[in-house]
Amino acid sequence: MRRSTRRKINVILAEIALILITMVASMPLFLAVSISFQTPKEVFSYPPKLFPKSLYLHNYASAFDLVPLARLILNSTIMAVAITLGKLVTGLLSGYAYANFEFKGKNISFATLFATLFLPAETVMIVPLFLIMRKFGWVNTYWALTVPFMASATNTFLFRQHFKSIPKELEDAARIDGATPMQFLIKILLPLSKSMIGGAAIINFVYAWNMYLWPLIVTMEDNMKTVQIGVKMLIDAEAVNNWGVIMAGTIVVLIPTVVMFLVLQNMFVKSLVRSGMKG
Amino acid sequence: MNVFHDDIISVLNLKNFYRGGFFVKKVLVVLMVALAVLSMAKIKIQFWHAMGGWRIDLIKSMAEEFMKLHPDIEVDVQYTGSYHDTLNKLIAAVKAGNPPHIVQIYDIGTQVMIDGGIAVPIQDLIDKDKSFDLGKFMPQVLNYYRVNGKLYSMPFNSSNPILYYNKTLFKKAGLDPNKPPRTFEELLEYAKKLTVKDANGNTIQYGITWPLHSWFFEQFMAVQNAPLVNNNNGRTGRPTKAVFDNEAGRRFFRLWYELTKNGWMINTKKEDWDEANQYFISQKAAMLITSTSDVAYIAKLAKQHGFELGTAFLPRPKNAKSGGVVIGGASLWIIGGHPQKEIQAAWEFVKFLTTTKMQIEWHTKTGYFPVRKDAVETLMNEGYYAKHPNMLTALLQLLLSVQNYNTNGAVIGAFPEVRQIIEDAVEKMLNGEMSPEDALAWAQKEATKAIQEYNEVYAY
Amino acid sequence: MSRKIIPYILLIPTFLIIIIFIYWPAVYSFKLSFYRISPFGNRMIFVGIRNFKNLFHDPDYITALKITAIYVSVSVALTIFASFFIALLLNMKVPGTPVYKALLFIPYAISPAISGTLWSFLLNPVVGHVNYFMSKFFGLRVEWLTTKPYALYAIIIASVWKVMPFDIIFYLAGVQNVPDDLLEASTLDGASTWTRIWKIIFPLLSPITFYLVIMNIISFMFSSFAIVDVMTRGGPGNYTTTMIYKLYLDAFAFQKTGIASAESVILFIIMTIVTIAYFYFGERRVHYQ
Repeated sequence: MRRSTRRKINVILAEIALILITMVASMPLFLAVSISFQTPKEVFSYPPKLFPKSLYLHNYASAFDLVPLARLILNSTIMAVAITLGKLVTGLLSGYAYANFEFKGKNISFATLFATLFLPAETVMIVPLFLIMRKFGWVNTYWALTVPFMASATNTFLFRQHFKSIPKELEDAARIDGATPMQFLIKILLPLSKSMIGGAAIINFVYAWNMYLWPLIVTMEDNMKTVQIGVKMLIDAEAVNNWGVIMAGTIVVLIPTVVMFLVLQNMFVKSLVRSGMKG
Repeated sequence: MNVFHDDIISVLNLKNFYRGGFFVKKVLVVLMVALAVLSMAKIKIQFWHAMGGWRIDLIKSMAEEFMKLHPDIEVDVQYTGSYHDTLNKLIAAVKAGNPPHIVQIYDIGTQVMIDGGIAVPIQDLIDKDKSFDLGKFMPQVLNYYRVNGKLYSMPFNSSNPILYYNKTLFKKAGLDPNKPPRTFEELLEYAKKLTVKDANGNTIQYGITWPLHSWFFEQFMAVQNAPLVNNNNGRTGRPTKAVFDNEAGRRFFRLWYELTKNGWMINTKKEDWDEANQYFISQKAAMLITSTSDVAYIAKLAKQHGFELGTAFLPRPKNAKSGGVVIGGASLWIIGGHPQKEIQAAWEFVKFLTTTKMQIEWHTKTGYFPVRKDAVETLMNEGYYAKHPNMLTALLQLLLSVQNYNTNGAVIGAFPEVRQIIEDAVEKMLNGEMSPEDALAWAQKEATKAIQEYNEVYAY
Repeated sequence: MSRKIIPYILLIPTFLIIIIFIYWPAVYSFKLSFYRISPFGNRMIFVGIRNFKNLFHDPDYITALKITAIYVSVSVALTIFASFFIALLLNMKVPGTPVYKALLFIPYAISPAISGTLWSFLLNPVVGHVNYFMSKFFGLRVEWLTTKPYALYAIIIASVWKVMPFDIIFYLAGVQNVPDDLLEASTLDGASTWTRIWKIIFPLLSPITFYLVIMNIISFMFSSFAIVDVMTRGGPGNYTTTMIYKLYLDAFAFQKTGIASAESVILFIIMTIVTIAYFYFGERRVHYQ
């Protein structure tokens, strides 16, 4: 009796706390949507408005007008898809090597890879990496935006761990049936890893889509920039900060990852947590 | 087609060949057409600029006009971000071996560009081009970009700061809208009167704002006829130390400090021009000091927001020596390493951008100065300035400026870093971390360090 | 193909990229850090360890180190505790939890640059809502982005908001693995909810906490760049200039390639220490479990 009342009170308190926390945490996004539909007059009115009077779509048109948003979206898509695919392929192959094979130099090479786990080259070593791009003549190209990020220790670990969790007997059976190691990977392991691959894909995509510093310095021309830089361009675009337009651009930029994230939330959460567990 | 085919056959037939000039003539015609087609192959040049926002379209349209006049040249116009970004990108492109032909570099990048040794000095092109008359250009503008007697780049967009004020709010505060403040002392007094607080004691209207940018410090030093660095502001030799920790510098730092401490001025974050404009346009600040380059835009917005706009010269300390303003903005550099034909095409485009017609268009649509005298004369004769008095303010301010090393502007290799240091000092002062005197002394020490660090590589 | 060769082939793509784009730059930055290089790279002089000496005698760099330490530790602490608490609430499975979860997780998908933009607007003194509510309820107005210490608060708020969902997701997964009877038993013992949380659940989740602390340190050290760039540009003064922002300024605004490389090396060393710590302590903790 006492226990159940206490539990009830706890539930009510938790409900209230969650409502408050969610409201505060959603405020920035909610207001961004609201502002993106407000006329300049409404944006500048005091006290600030929570809701737009009507759906003023002009801000969205202006955002596309002020910066080549469509092109930036294309660039970001190319970059994010290429990095995602690259990371998946390299991660699957190397994860498979570490999980299912014994070979000379396994430990040393693994340590070499492990050492890069917390070394985001695009920030820590941005100067030399940039100079290398210059050497390659890759500055202001898709190569510079994609190739350096097509492998990561995280992806290797994720798939290594996943493959380790798949019973060894399966591989033995396949071998007896005459399957080559590559056939085993493609025909058996991959189908068993669908949700893992899906989750990793979202993590990689979000990471790539949201990159900022690297595209900022390595792209030169407007038509090579990415959406994140587009947001900064919008802020700098006019002699007066037109927040309605900036927010409209911001919404356009964040929609792809947010929608993808909401739709595939469960798959993603599982993979993300897996990526953090050690094997 | 058939005729041509027959002609080839007839070449083999010597008899036919000797028979008459008809065929020879035809070959000549064909050759000439081929040559014409070949020479019609467009010369492609790249132009990088840093004029963001609505100016992107303006520059594009200017390039299109050029291409109409020169159908053999194709100009690829790229907006490459802020001045910082553009210089950065140029350096990267030079290293990668694919620099643009023309690039717009900000005033303070001049020494870095010269040290880089990658540009074709404009002077060399002018000397070869008899059709070009530098005498038509404004000496104030040329004086800035001429270093050691040589003009390295072509002045393009030049501006200086002026005082914008809200006449409507002046009237509300009981001030004469036709008497803007002329001295620092008056500025303080006006700012105080124009500051409005609500019942809670919160400020709802500030007296003045300007972007937190070192440029204003530089300008107010010139206004007081004081240099920033030694060796005559770096114009008679590479500067070795900063020299702005003096009475002129202190006067301006103190002004800024007083205005802020008393709550009469609202400050922006570092180099945020838009924010300052926004305070002024939304009538959160009654006065604004900013570049003339926004005159046209601010005038338009003022009208939209229903207030009357006034402009005036920068105020001066009462007893200070009178100097003038420094030409700010940027110039056009032609980068070497391209085929001569392309360099020539780039030169044509640069010349085109500084023609009277283009300069009038640029000036009237933005607020940047025309870099040519005859552009001003033409506009005067057309009565343009009578209709647009705000455009005249900046021009007069420039024309009335004394011309000497101090107002020609400093030449410093490490200028970008010196700017950052001055801005840091201002922010430290405004946040009460340092007194105006200490902040200025600190900035001078740090700036000297940066200058010497820069020079080190060139000492050998 | 023999099973002996295959693993090497499988590793080629990964190692090509790691070596060219991580190891080579690392070695390269060591080399460059011993030079002074002119902006256009046409002059280069060897200066030994002078770049490092100068950095550690440069009050600006020391400030950047301090600010980074304060910003990172405060943000990590806030994120960890807030996320742990929110994960516990979400684990109670009160009505509406899926909705709260979805909304609370969203910032994970949003970039630091956008987080900075959103909060720049909210904290804008003229049009922002935060100041309006603050002045309405507390009679307080603050220039968030341009004054001390609020500029630091502002970037901490934007950073924590962005990183929190990551931690919540992990804690939630962790709490779900805590056996129910353990929770129930302690309740029957009469242990208060509070003690139960801090004495039993939090220690149980310490491996997760450890992992999150490391991941958060990395997020705040590096991704913070976009937030600082959009919100404060390192100001007022150099008050919010973190190490990575300083590195960016020196490298790409002031063109001091040599000094920037020295800063790279310092960051590299710090991250190596973090990696070793993670490996060493992380392994030990797992064994204890």
